Amino acid sequence: MIFVTKIRVISFILFIPVLLLQAQDSFEEQFQLAKNLYVKENYYDAITELKRLLFFDNGGKYLFEANDLIGQCYKQGGKFTDAIRYFILAEINTKNPDQVYKEKVGIVRINILRKTTESAFRILNSLETDSRFKDKIDITNYWRGWAYIFSDDWVNAEATFAKIDSAHQLQKLAEKVNNELYSVGFAKAISYIIPGAGQIYTGEYLSGIMSLGWNVLWGYLTVQAFAADRIFDGIMIANFLFLRFYRGNLQNAENFAIEKNLKISNNALHYLQYEYKGLKP
Amino acid sequence: MFKIVLIIVSLFTLVTTAQTDWVKWGKTEINYEKKDRTRHKDYSYHGGSISELAVKTLANAYWFFISDLDGDNCPFSPTCSSFLLQSVKETNVVQGTLMFFDRFTRDYNFIERYNRYPREKDGHYYDPVSLYTLNVDKIKYIPPSAVVEP
Amino acid sequence: MKIQVFLCVLLSFVSTAFTQEKQIDFNSEKNIKKFADYLFCDKDYLRAAEEYQRLNAYKENDTIIFKSGLSYLFIGDYSTSIDNFAKISNSSLFYKNSKLEQMKAHYLKKDYSVMRSFYKNNFTNEYDYSDQAEKLFYFSYLVSEDQLPQKEKFLIPFNSNENEIISSFYDWKNDPPYKSSALAGILSAIIPGSGKIYTGDISDGIFSFLVTGVFTFLAYDNFHADHDTRAWIFTGLAAFFYGGNVYGSVAAAQIHNAKITFEFNDGLNVFLQNKNYFVPVYDFCN
Repeated sequence: MIFVTKIRVISFILFIPVLLLQAQDSFEEQFQLAKNLYVKENYYDAITELKRLLFFDNGGKYLFEANDLIGQCYKQGGKFTDAIRYFILAEINTKNPDQVYKEKVGIVRINILRKTTESAFRILNSLETDSRFKDKIDITNYWRGWAYIFSDDWVNAEATFAKIDSAHQLQKLAEKVNNELYSVGFAKAISYIIPGAGQIYTGEYLSGIMSLGWNVLWGYLTVQAFAADRIFDGIMIANFLFLRFYRGNLQNAENFAIEKNLKISNNALHYLQYEYKGLKP
Repeated sequence: MFKIVLIIVSLFTLVTTAQTDWVKWGKTEINYEKKDRTRHKDYSYHGGSISELAVKTLANAYWFFISDLDGDNCPFSPTCSSFLLQSVKETNVVQGTLMFFDRFTRDYNFIERYNRYPREKDGHYYDPVSLYTLNVDKIKYIPPSAVVEP
Repeated sequence: MKIQVFLCVLLSFVSTAFTQEKQIDFNSEKNIKKFADYLFCDKDYLRAAEEYQRLNAYKENDTIIFKSGLSYLFIGDYSTSIDNFAKISNSSLFYKNSKLEQMKAHYLKKDYSVMRSFYKNNFTNEYDYSDQAEKLFYFSYLVSEDQLPQKEKFLIPFNSNENEIISSFYDWKNDPPYKSSALAGILSAIIPGSGKIYTGDISDGIFSFLVTGVFTFLAYDNFHADHDTRAWIFTGLAAFFYGGNVYGSVAAAQIHNAKITFEFNDGLNVFLQNKNYFVPVYDFCN
């Protein structure tokens, strides 16, 4: 008899959590509704439902998850400033260091996308020096590499990815880009010495030859004028013709190098956006 | 202390966040590639009268032999040569030529440009043809403090 | 047996209390309204308006309709705001406010003739807000191209501290200080650059004078030195610069007129925004 009673008591006690689990948690339902809207790419309405959840969530249980998801919605809509604001709010309400790291990396990725890479570097540096995240150094370096790519610093990008793995796919990509890039400084420097040389270095042969031709012509006429004591004529030709084309030669050397480099880096960025299978900002 | 500052900043800026959502928006494709902001010349012909074709040929020759080699010397957008082409296209050769010589004179005036013309993002002064066709309806005044999208 | 009963009762209390804490109907009328009010005070007007429209009470509660109308007004959807304000019944506390807000919406839509007809049909009697409506009615003449009423009649609705500035707006609109394109062209034909100085482009005028002068001098100098080819080239250039200077002076007068019109309209907008379009400021959030 006592044994049967004991069994019944134990059964009731075991039955309590089952009943409690079955009780509908409307907050969780609301959060799932918002998440489903996010998955369906209905970002505006997802934000509405998340704001509704946050408004009624007096206990603050969903402060982190909801703010984080709102930030993700704004990020998908290209509204980066708003996304960062909500990631900051999520960061304020984190419950553990992993969540802190997640939000900070989220902010880094947005700064990379909107090309405010100085802010990204600042956060990445703080993550690197934070003792809580020593085990995540590879992830930190991964996003630092991306930040270097988006700030057009392929040399440092290559070096950063090499720290993760010397045969990293992105290290190889950055190395390839570095080998193809033209040196803007070098193009300008050789154009100072020989007008047109910078253009020829960047592959613009016709422009280089014509630039050389004009500079030789006006240079010759300037010298001839001074030699014949036609000082005023010499000054006019030198100032309005020779210097104009000489300056133009330097500008063109620089611009052609920059243009070619832009094409090379845009090819790489296109590959990263559409063909690269790894994690992207 | 830092968290308090973060909270204050976020709450303050949340008010302005709301204004983003005064229009419904959807997903945006973000392009990784950088925009090419250099000014490129269009050498191609787009039909038009004989005088327009003649002026276009002169402009192409000027661009090829001189302008492409002497650097970016025009502080305005569109450049003086492009201004000539557009003004001939919008009006006629005579009026377009007069507009061009007026523009060329204003080009010499380096004193009060910042007080007179709005700027594009790349720093060039925005001075469109539509202001000078003598058609009052085409004039859309933009104050000099404005920054114009190219 | 007694223990079993006790445990059953205890279990039901605990589970009820626990589930009530986790249960909330987000879509009840009361909660939708609470959330909508919060969004309205947070200036998230489009969301607020959409939430208000979900309410069953939306069709009957004039406060909700009025706030919905205000929401659409703030985000620039003037047509929808007018539709909302028009739904407010004449027995409502917000009826007179809604009429004024409709006038404001028509003004912002730039439907000035519709706004004026609306004023005449709705504000003829002595009425709350008829003063404000009358101000907006007359102010609209400053932004439209319609003929201005007489000045004395125009100034009547405005306060003594508004009279001075409104009077100056009226005078400007009545007789704008435009420059004559023809006069600018003639002046530049006589003295190159003077037409541009007349329109206020002093430095442009000086440079026009200098450039035309330099090329004319070069033409003269080369003719004098018997360098005929160069002389004719400089003559041609001087002629083109002279023609360009005359043309440019005419255009400069037009641009000057466009500039001062722009600045006048800007001044009107600033004044009207400072006055909140002569409409009361509502405080639904405290």
